[in-house]
Amino acid sequence: MICCKECIELLCDYFEGTLDPETASSLEDHFKDCPPCVSFLETYRQTSDLCRKTLTAVEIPEPVQEKLREFVKTHILNR
Amino acid sequence: MPTQEEKAQDEILVRDMKAGSMEAFNKIFELYQRKIYALSFNMTRNQMDAQDVTQDVLLTIYRKINTFQEKSAFSSWVYRITLNATYMKLRTKKKDQYVSLDESLPNFNHSGFQNEKISNWSKSTDSLLFSNETKKVIEKAVDLLPEKEKVVFILRDVEGLSTEKVGDILDLTIPAVKSRLHRARLFLRKKLSHYFDEYQTRSAKQ
Repeated sequence: MICCKECIELLCDYFEGTLDPETASSLEDHFKDCPPCVSFLETYRQTSDLCRKTLTAVEIPEPVQEKLREFVKTHILNR
Repeated sequence: MPTQEEKAQDEILVRDMKAGSMEAFNKIFELYQRKIYALSFNMTRNQMDAQDVTQDVLLTIYRKINTFQEKSAFSSWVYRITLNATYMKLRTKKKDQYVSLDESLPNFNHSGFQNEKISNWSKSTDSLLFSNETKKVIEKAVDLLPEKEKVVFILRDVEGLSTEKVGDILDLTIPAVKSRLHRARLFLRKKLSHYFDEYQTRSAKQ
């Protein structure tokens, strides 16, 4: 059986789906017997999700948008 | 991820821009300004810097479009220019603060099994997600990442680009991208764990 340390090292590839089937299945066997690693796996995944949801919400604020349009007009389009 | 149609559309716009079409430039401006701004903002966490970078990048696209070789996707080229401009901005500001990512792993015993209790907060974050406090904690944790890990994390997990695309933009091998991504996630997981554990304790006391 693989140990927790190896298990955590494989998480990135596990989520990418790039592990060979044998390794993936021994990883899943490990999860069946190891609640701490399941917690780790779920919080690892949730970390990515939370950061994505928080940081993809970046929009250009209206005053900046105005400045950008003005910049493009002055420095590029009307040159 | 850009779809095939978006790629095809980019190719047409690039061709027209090379032929001097202002209309094509304007379209590129509309299509890319948010991507440029958001990447730069997430790297600098500063509105003024992100605005400067976006302006620089737009000017570079306009001036250098004829040097774009079309060996890689136009979007990769734009991301690269954006990162270069962002790094220039960061260099003028602060020294890269040194943060060790080594402490991000749990404790293992000599056989490689976990020694500490891992709390599972993954199901209790919904109500917290859009609270200002959580947002600040996440932003601060990402800001603490060393640049190399931060850029990979933002492109891959925040912008949602594929591992291959990130490798293409940063000129890194796939294993190198994955290794940096993994280190970044471990670090952030640890930071968020502190926060959510503390939050749960606080809530339990109330």
